[in-house]
Amino acid sequence: MIVPLEHILILAGLLFFLGLGGLLAWRANLIMMLVCIEVMLNAVMLIFVAGSTRWGNADGQIFAVFIMALTSAEVSLALAMVVYLHRRKRTVNTDAFSEMKG
Amino acid sequence: MKLYLALILLLPLCGGLFNALVGRRLPRRLGEAVACAVIWGAFACAVLAFLQFTTPVKIEYASWLSDFDFKAPIALYLDQLSLSLTLMITFVCGLIHLYSIGYMKDDPSYARYFALLNIFVFAMLTLILAENLPLLYLGWEGVGFCSYALIGFWYTEEKNATAGRKAFIVTRIGDTAFGIAMIWMFQLFGTVSITELNTMGFLMPAGVVTALGILLLIGAAGKSAQLPLSVWLPDAMAGPTPVSAQIHAATMVTAGVYLLARMFPLIGVSPTAQAAIALTGGVTAFYAATCACAQRDLKRILAYSTISQIGYMVLGVGAGALTASTFHLLTHAFFKALLFLGAGCVITALHHQQDIFGMGGLKKELPKVYWPFLAGALCLAGFPGSGGFFSKDAILAAVFERGGPLYGGLFSLGLLTALLTSFYTFRMLFVVFHGASAPLSHQAAPDSHQGMVNDNRSVSGVEPVMTLTLIPLALLGLLGGLLNLPAWLGSHGLLSSFLGSIPGFSPAEHISSMTEIMLQIAAATACIIGLGLARSRYIGQRRATSLATESGAAPAGIRFLQSGWMLDDLYRVIFIRPFVSLSRLLWKGIDEAAIDGSLDGLARLTARLGGLPAGWSTGRVATSLLAIAGGMMVILGYLVWSMVS
Repeated sequence: MIVPLEHILILAGLLFFLGLGGLLAWRANLIMMLVCIEVMLNAVMLIFVAGSTRWGNADGQIFAVFIMALTSAEVSLALAMVVYLHRRKRTVNTDAFSEMKG
Repeated sequence: MKLYLALILLLPLCGGLFNALVGRRLPRRLGEAVACAVIWGAFACAVLAFLQFTTPVKIEYASWLSDFDFKAPIALYLDQLSLSLTLMITFVCGLIHLYSIGYMKDDPSYARYFALLNIFVFAMLTLILAENLPLLYLGWEGVGFCSYALIGFWYTEEKNATAGRKAFIVTRIGDTAFGIAMIWMFQLFGTVSITELNTMGFLMPAGVVTALGILLLIGAAGKSAQLPLSVWLPDAMAGPTPVSAQIHAATMVTAGVYLLARMFPLIGVSPTAQAAIALTGGVTAFYAATCACAQRDLKRILAYSTISQIGYMVLGVGAGALTASTFHLLTHAFFKALLFLGAGCVITALHHQQDIFGMGGLKKELPKVYWPFLAGALCLAGFPGSGGFFSKDAILAAVFERGGPLYGGLFSLGLLTALLTSFYTFRMLFVVFHGASAPLSHQAAPDSHQGMVNDNRSVSGVEPVMTLTLIPLALLGLLGGLLNLPAWLGSHGLLSSFLGSIPGFSPAEHISSMTEIMLQIAAATACIIGLGLARSRYIGQRRATSLATESGAAPAGIRFLQSGWMLDDLYRVIFIRPFVSLSRLLWKGIDEAAIDGSLDGLARLTARLGGLPAGWSTGRVATSLLAIAGGMMVILGYLVWSMVS
């Protein structure tokens, strides 16, 4: 392996927390939040792939493919809901949707 | 004897219960008849008991309180003292009941009135006849309760209800002392029987007996309105006038004197206790006489005169002259009932005018009241030959005989008080009955506490039953001296020989006739001087000027006397105000601020704590996200920490 595992882990961690930070910070835009979630998912996929390479086991790569499929389904569904939400309130700001308030 | 004694107690009780339970539904005449009949029945039983009486008897009817070696049965003790008092009480109260029929003829609450009046008599008779202290205490408290209920009889007026409460609370202070004394006596002697206790005084060190004597004195001072607990009696005038007569003459205030006389064989062992009793009595007699000189409410004059006369009785007990005290108690009961009932007639005739300066000239208009009232006034003033003269002189003579600086001083004080008594008595008599009919300028001043100004001063007639009851009392008051004539007049004295066999009642030394005659001349002189002073001031030319000055605004000295030496204000400053501030502190500071405040604070804290997580559920996605991220951070942190350590 050319790149040591630690570097990939650090990169994945950076990506994951970038995504998390973006998710928390960018709540004014639902689409950007979905993008941030994708970034986090990609960080996780990166770890799966790196792990699979490190131990010579294909399970991680299969998981990565699964995640890709799951993500595409999720994103299509989520974008449809974004459109639906936007139609209801003319905004994609998540703070506007607080009907679940206890 | 057993039957008579039981009937003496049970008749008034049954009468009271009858009126209390069914009196309101029955015709008025029936209730009145029952109330009077039971008292006269009790009097008849007392007379029969007197006729059968040979030696003191102790009769046990039933067990009442019994616990290990504590025994307080319902036991009655009839000796010469209780017998003579029972006769007096049933007779005087019988007359007062008859009088009440006339006095209360327009009052709608006659059933309550007569029920309380009957139970009042029952309680007093229980007190007199009780053989042990708890039973006596039962009567003692019953008297206190009935006086409270009757003083505040017209309770719809705040003033009357307050007067009733005041009487109840002030006498309660004395009752507490008496209660302590009773329990302590049981602890010391192992018995509460009065007859047994009275033989045991010498068993205890003098200090203990002195303390017991002082406690009993405080108890008696509460009931008998002696200093410093005298403040309730002048206010007790708020009740109906027959009630005042009964409280003053027969049922309430004499209880303290009776208690001291009854327990004298025990507490008389200590000379200190005797001196304290004598001092209290002498000073009270003087104090009340000075106050009476300045009063302008007819009933308040009589109230202070009662305090003063009871002071004489207590002084007599303190001097060891129990016979003289009992003698004065009996004559005082007759003439004070007479004076109060007479005052009631006057007040009724003048449509509830009580200010003496709004009266005057009633001699012509109410001759049937005037002559008995004159007899009562002569007795109260101690006019030579009247009953009050002999009884008061007997006490003064006993005090004089004791000698020594204390008793000598008290004798002079007593003589001075006799002069004052004569002055205020005749002042009252002359202002009310003599002179011209009160011109309108002498009507109640605006600042008078009665505040009732009758413009149409018409003297209405008085019920015949009211004036008729005065006659036997007047005769008894005037001729009461015959009960116990001094030795130099030939007889040995009926009452002395009758009471003489009771331990403590036989006089230690017989006073010489010469001294006694001298003392009586001195007392007579005091009385005549007082009469002369009052006459020169309130009859003849100076009457108009005296009345004008006195009914106007009073100078400071007179106001001081009118308010009873400011005792009420003194107590307000010493006791009531600190008590009220303490109560306010406990209410506002402790109860509301500390206890309620801490509980309220705790509740508020819990509510706020509960509100904290409630604020998190905003329904916003961002909040949930933040919570998830936070939680994840915590888990990660924990993993890192556990891996590092």
